[in-house]
Amino acid sequence: MKPVTVKWQRNLFIGTFIVPTFVFFCIFTIYPVVQALYYSLFDWSGMSENKTFIWFDNFKDMFRDPIVWRAVGNDYFLVAGKIVGIMILATFFAVALTRFNFKLAGFFRSIFFIPNVISVVVIGVLWNFIYNPQIGFLNAFLSLFTKEKVDIAWLGFTSHTIWMLLPPAIWAGIGFYMILIIAAIQNIPASFYEASELEGAGQWHQFRTITVPLVWEQLKVSIINIMMTTLNGSFVIVWIMTEGGPDNSTQVMGSYLYQMAFRQYHFGFAAAIGVLILVLSLITTIVLQRLLHQETVELS
Amino acid sequence: MALNRKTAALGIAAMVALMPLAGCGSSNNDNAGGASGSSSPSPSASASPSESASASPSESASASPSASQTKLTGDFEIQYFVGGYGDKWWKKVIADFKAANPDLNVIEDGGPKINDQNKPRWIGGNPPDFVYIDGPNLNDRQMVEDGQLEDLTEWLQTATNIDGDKILDILAQAPQQYDGKIYNIPLVLNSWGIFWDKALFKEKGWTEPANFDEFLQASDKIKADGITPFIHTGKYPYYINGAFLYPAIVSNNNDDYTILQDMAANKIDAYKSPAVLAALNQIVQLRDKGFIDKASIQINHTDSQMLFLQHKDAFIPNGLWLPNEMAKDVPQGFDFGFIPSITQKAGGKVVANTSTATVAIAKKAKNKEAAKAFLQFIFSKAQASQWAELSGAPSNIKGDISNSNAPNFVKDAAKYLTDPNTVVIPTITFNADVDKAMQDATDALTINKITPEEWVKRVTDVVAKVQK
Repeated sequence: MKPVTVKWQRNLFIGTFIVPTFVFFCIFTIYPVVQALYYSLFDWSGMSENKTFIWFDNFKDMFRDPIVWRAVGNDYFLVAGKIVGIMILATFFAVALTRFNFKLAGFFRSIFFIPNVISVVVIGVLWNFIYNPQIGFLNAFLSLFTKEKVDIAWLGFTSHTIWMLLPPAIWAGIGFYMILIIAAIQNIPASFYEASELEGAGQWHQFRTITVPLVWEQLKVSIINIMMTTLNGSFVIVWIMTEGGPDNSTQVMGSYLYQMAFRQYHFGFAAAIGVLILVLSLITTIVLQRLLHQETVELS
Repeated sequence: MALNRKTAALGIAAMVALMPLAGCGSSNNDNAGGASGSSSPSPSASASPSESASASPSESASASPSASQTKLTGDFEIQYFVGGYGDKWWKKVIADFKAANPDLNVIEDGGPKINDQNKPRWIGGNPPDFVYIDGPNLNDRQMVEDGQLEDLTEWLQTATNIDGDKILDILAQAPQQYDGKIYNIPLVLNSWGIFWDKALFKEKGWTEPANFDEFLQASDKIKADGITPFIHTGKYPYYINGAFLYPAIVSNNNDDYTILQDMAANKIDAYKSPAVLAALNQIVQLRDKGFIDKASIQINHTDSQMLFLQHKDAFIPNGLWLPNEMAKDVPQGFDFGFIPSITQKAGGKVVANTSTATVAIAKKAKNKEAAKAFLQFIFSKAQASQWAELSGAPSNIKGDISNSNAPNFVKDAAKYLTDPNTVVIPTITFNADVDKAMQDATDALTINKITPEEWVKRVTDVVAKVQK
């Protein structure tokens, strides 16, 4: 009799945590996803009382729309650019601030983390000022070295304007991943480094053979997290800085979704883009998991 | 981790297959039910007026010149967006209307976010009775296409305002027609156009332009003096389209604005007219002469207006709300010069592309009688001058407002727009897809990415797609 009650109590205890979470997950994650899938099968303006069921016509239109392809390309460009930029810089800063004992490490750690405390909206506005052709910092700075005043429209190139969104995105991302990697590095026992030093290993060798394998799990999480937040969240910085312009050259899937749903009144089509984002995020996550799979080195 | 993700993906996929239709159909009904339950407290009021209104729409409201003869009762709900024109006039006119109809319970739905707040009710088929169509996320053409607005065509043929004047006769700009039908009536008469600073022109000895040749000559001098002649709002290209391109198309079409109406009706031939190419080539001229500020392409309206006020640029395409909008930042001594269009030939007529906000009655309104009476109430001369005074923009009702307390630039604008030598383009709303295509294409044109011919090709492709 007694063991059953204990077991029941245990289940009740676990249930009180799991059931509400599961319910909220269903309401706030599963239900909207299903809802989006549902709407993506309709021709709906987003305001009308009537929706027309059109099967997969929205998806057919979507694959025929060159702007969608450009948006997907831009999204993956941002993913790749941010992974490379953020991971290199964050790892570099993390190693620099932990492995080379210099005095101002704490100070720089705070400095590098500051962009993470600022809202992306503020970052977008800030960089809009940096890029402003007339009164912007960048042109003013470049003008110091030239005779003529520099008047480049940094966000107004005929193509490849998406490149200009990379610096703010990287700048905004470094701090968090740096802290993550710092924490991982500090978990590595100092004796490993001492031993390798006695064996005559230099800093680079230590980095390659001790640091990277032992923080690999954190690097992997960082890369996948950058990928997911970019595919789902690049909308904010794009919308603040360019609204997808000029001439759709900086459109990402999120911004095009917004444009279609709320500016051009194609809610069903926008929902289809949402489904595309979901599918691409899932596929990319699985692919990246596979690619980054490496025997985890366990500390014991 | 990987496994969990995979199972999650599988789970979602399974749900995709099974759940959506059943689950969401019911949720929609819930939404509609919830909205209607919360906001229409008197279902009895909803049944009777609409029946009587549909039975005798023209007799009940328009035949009697003063609406107050028929006693209005029940609830009457007004949705109005609060933006650049403020809400002072709405508060005032609603108070006046209440005073005239003491038995009517007027409910106000006003605010800067009201379009979003009331959206579920429009979707759920329980809209407010009367709507002021202005601000984001509310598009008159889309509302007409979605069948949400009451057809006013017949009623307007005879409708008179509370003073006994026929409403159609006193409107400065006619309502837009959708396949020959009228659903919404313009309330505001504002105009796009080109601005400059008269004081700066005087100081530098430049001539204020009255036509395109003079504009080019002045721009040459301005450029020689080290100032960029022309800045626009590239992030929102509807500014340059509204203030430069559309008037130019009309000027090049012998001042016949029906070409724009044909374009809005998605007639491809209208887009292929030589007038469109000629107008686009006027933009190309500005571009190739280096008159367009390179900053334009990436900046929003506030930034472009600030640069203009700081004399970094001499001309800006904008709307008559500009002095009001930037009131706090206008430097001392700045004197706004304005012309509705700059693309006409020497001696040609000025073309004013109007910008407006309209009012309409919901198709599913519960108190159409009151809504029509409210239309008769607001389209009167007294309310017109009150609108100009309280909102800082000219009203769409013909009449002399020179004696009202409206600000000076409003009076000037009104003078321009009622001048017989001005071609006034009545309000036009393009299909949202076509509008976006034109904006993108114009942007691309100003940065030398496409040619005018490619502009036409791009836009006609979208028009063809929209027609389907």
